[in-house]
Amino acid sequence: MRAIYLIARREYLSYVATWGFWLSLASMPMFMALGFGLPILIENSQPTRYYALIDESGGVLEAAIEEQRSAAREARTAATRDAATEMLGDDPAIQAAIAEAAHPVEKYIRVYPDATDIETLRPYLLGEMMVETDAGPQPLFAAIYLRQGAGGAIEIEYWSTNLTDGELRSDIRRTLREYMQLNRLLENGVSPELVAAAGELTPTVRELNPERSAEAAEVTTAERLPIIVAIAVAFGLWIVIFSVVNMLLTAMIEEKGNKVLEMMLASSRHHEILTGKLLGVAGVSTTLLLAWGGLAATVGLVAQQFAFAAGLPLGDILGAVLDPALIFPAIGYFIIGYLMYGAIFLAIGSLCETLQDAQTLMSPMMLIMMVPLFLVMVAADAPDSPIIVIASWVPLWTPFIMLARLPQDPALFDVIGTTLVMIITAAAVIWGAGVMFRMGALNQANQDTVKGWFRLGGKRKPG
Amino acid sequence: MSEIILSLDGVSKTFSGKPAVRDLSFSVKRGEITGFLGPNGAGKSTSLRMALGILTPDSGRVSLFGGRPRASALERVGFLPEERGIYRKMKVIDVIIFFARLKGVAPVEARRRGLVMLEEFGLADVADSKVKTLSKGMAQKIQIISTLIHDPEFIILDEPFSGLDPVNQKALEQIVRARAEAGATILFSTHVMEHAERLCDQIVLVAKGRKVFDGTVEAALAMIPRRVILETVSEHDLTQTFAPLGAVVQEAGAADGARRWLIDLGPGIDAQDVLKACVDGNIRLLRFEPARAHLHDAFVHLVETSGQFSTETLAGEAV
Repeated sequence: MRAIYLIARREYLSYVATWGFWLSLASMPMFMALGFGLPILIENSQPTRYYALIDESGGVLEAAIEEQRSAAREARTAATRDAATEMLGDDPAIQAAIAEAAHPVEKYIRVYPDATDIETLRPYLLGEMMVETDAGPQPLFAAIYLRQGAGGAIEIEYWSTNLTDGELRSDIRRTLREYMQLNRLLENGVSPELVAAAGELTPTVRELNPERSAEAAEVTTAERLPIIVAIAVAFGLWIVIFSVVNMLLTAMIEEKGNKVLEMMLASSRHHEILTGKLLGVAGVSTTLLLAWGGLAATVGLVAQQFAFAAGLPLGDILGAVLDPALIFPAIGYFIIGYLMYGAIFLAIGSLCETLQDAQTLMSPMMLIMMVPLFLVMVAADAPDSPIIVIASWVPLWTPFIMLARLPQDPALFDVIGTTLVMIITAAAVIWGAGVMFRMGALNQANQDTVKGWFRLGGKRKPG
Repeated sequence: MSEIILSLDGVSKTFSGKPAVRDLSFSVKRGEITGFLGPNGAGKSTSLRMALGILTPDSGRVSLFGGRPRASALERVGFLPEERGIYRKMKVIDVIIFFARLKGVAPVEARRRGLVMLEEFGLADVADSKVKTLSKGMAQKIQIISTLIHDPEFIILDEPFSGLDPVNQKALEQIVRARAEAGATILFSTHVMEHAERLCDQIVLVAKGRKVFDGTVEAALAMIPRRVILETVSEHDLTQTFAPLGAVVQEAGAADGARRWLIDLGPGIDAQDVLKACVDGNIRLLRFEPARAHLHDAFVHLVETSGQFSTETLAGEAV
C-alpha cells in the first residue's frame, strides 16, 4: 500500500505541475465562455455594411422595405431597453441613461449614391472606389435593384462581391414576400385589420405527461432539466476522461523512454505501479471536477445576484445535478469509465517509447472515444432509438450513453445489463492492460506485438 | 557455513519460444562479491529479474533470503537495473527521497541520507537541480545513490559500469568494495571481465542462458593452460623440443630473423621447466615471457570447451 500511495502521490504532483493540467483546468470554463461569448463576439465584431437600394418601381417597394426595417429597429431598441430595465431597475436616472444608450448598432446602413446604374456603381462594389458615409469613405457592400412587373411580380437584383453574408438579401426578400402576400389579400377584399389579426394567431400548446393525471400532468421546464443536466454531465465526463487519459499516456511514454520503469520495478511490483498511476491520475481528474464544479457554483451564485438572472432556474439546475438518481450513477460511470480508458492508455504507453510509436495504437482508440460524443447528442432527442440502445451495450461507450439515457427512464434490463457488461469488461480490460503493462515495461512487447495480434491470415515470413 | 542470500535452482525462462535462460543454478553467499558474467544476450538481466521476482521462471526455483522473492524482500535489496533512468523533471534530492521512501525509509531520514550521499559522491551542489540538467555520468551516480540510499544488505547491480568513464568506473569499484567491507552482499553482472577480476570473490559465467562456470576467480584461471611466449633466433623448428612441455604453436609477428613460439603448458609443467629446456637445448632467447592468465581468456576457454560459442563471437562480445 505504501508503494501505491507514494507512486500515486508522485504522479499527482507531477501532473499538477504540468502545463497540460492547467490547460485542462482552464479548458472547460474557456469552452463554455467561448460557447456563450463567441456568437456575441462574432455578431459585434462584424463591420457595418453599406448598401445602395434602387427602386425602379417608383418608390413603393423601397417604402415597404424602409417601413419594415424601421419597425425591426424599434423592436430591437425596445428589447434592449426592457432587458436593461429588468437588470438595473426603473430608477428615473437609470431610465434616462438607458434611453440614451439603448440604440442597437446598425449592421446595414443605406447610402444614397448620385448615380444609380450598375456600371457606375461597379467600381464601388469592387472596392476600387469608396462611398461617402458618416463614418468616412467606405466600400459599397451591395447594390440592390427592385423592379415590379405585370401582375405584381417583383424582381430583386442583388449585386455584391460578398457571397457569404446573405442576411440583408434575406431580409429584403422576406419583406417583399410579405408585401406581395399582403397586397394579394387586400386586392381580394381582405381588410388590413383582418390580415393583422390573422398574423397574431398561434395555437397554445399544453404538454402533458400521461403518467400523471389532472393538473399534475402538465410538463414543466424544470422537468426537462434532468435530461439537459445529464447530457451536460455526460459531456463533462467525456472531457475529463479524455483529458486525463491523454496526460496518462504522455507521461507513461515519457517514463518508458526515460527507462524509469525498470528502476521502479526494483522497488515495487507491476500492479502497484499500475494502480498507483491510475490513482494518481484519478486524483487529477477529481481535482479538475471539483475545480469546475466550484467554478460553476461560484458563477451561479454571482449570476443569481443580478436581477436578470433571477428567472434562471438555478435551484432546479442544482437539484438536477445533485439528484441521487444522477450523481451516484455519474460517479460510478466515471470510476469505471476512467479505469477502463486509463488502463488501456497506460498499457499503450508502456508499449511505446515515443508518441510517434503510440500514434498507430492511439488512432483506433481515439475513434472509439469520439463515437459516444455524437451518440450522446442523439440520445438527448431519441433515447429509445435502436442505435442508442445498441450503442449503450458497448462497454466503452456505456458510461456516457447510459448517463445521458438515465433521466429518460430506460428499461431496467438495459440499466442492469449494460452495467454488468461494463463492469465485467472493465475487469477484463484492467487485467489485460496489466499483462500488457508488465510485458511493455520490460520491453517484452511493443506496438508491433499488438499489430501482430490483429494481423490475421497474414503470410508467414519464410524461415 | 555462510548463509545463502540468493539461490537459483534449475531455473529456465523462454520468451516467444526462444530460451533466454536454461536450467541455471547458482547461489550467492552473505558477505561475498559475486560476479555474474557473460556476453550480451547471455541471459544475465533475465536471471537477475527472476532473482527479484520481476519475472517468473518457467521452471526451477528462486530463493531470496530463504523464501520466494516477495515484494517485502525488495526493501532489503538494492537493485540497479541495466535499463535505468530517473524522473528527469524532478529535483535530484526529490528523486532520491522518492526511491528511499519506496524502500521504507522515513521522509526526514531519506532527505538526511540523500544529502550525505550526494556529498560523498561530490554532487552536493546539484541537490536542488532538475535531473534533466545533469550530465549522463552524474545522472548515473544519482541512480546508484537511489539504489543504495536504504542501505540494503543485498546489492544487485546489472551492468553497473556501462556508460561510466574510467574515472567513474574506478569510483564505482571503490563504492562496491566499501559496501562489501561494510557487510553487504553484492551480485553484479558485467561483460567486462577486468572489473570482475579485480572485485569478485566468486564468479558465475553464463553463455546462451547456460552456466559454464561457478567458482572463484582463481579456479576459473586455473581452468586454462598457463602460457609461455618465446622469441628465438634459432633457424630450427623447435616444436619437437618443446612438445613434452605442452601444446606448441609458432606465431607470426616476431622481429626480423626471430621466431615466436606460444607454449600452453601441460599439467605439472611450469615456466621454469621451459627455461631449463631452452638452456639445455642451447637455444638463444630474445624473449621469455610467462603470460599472466586473464579472466577473459578463462571465459573464452570455458565457453569454447562448453561448445556454446565460436572464438570469434566471444572475442567480440566479452571484452
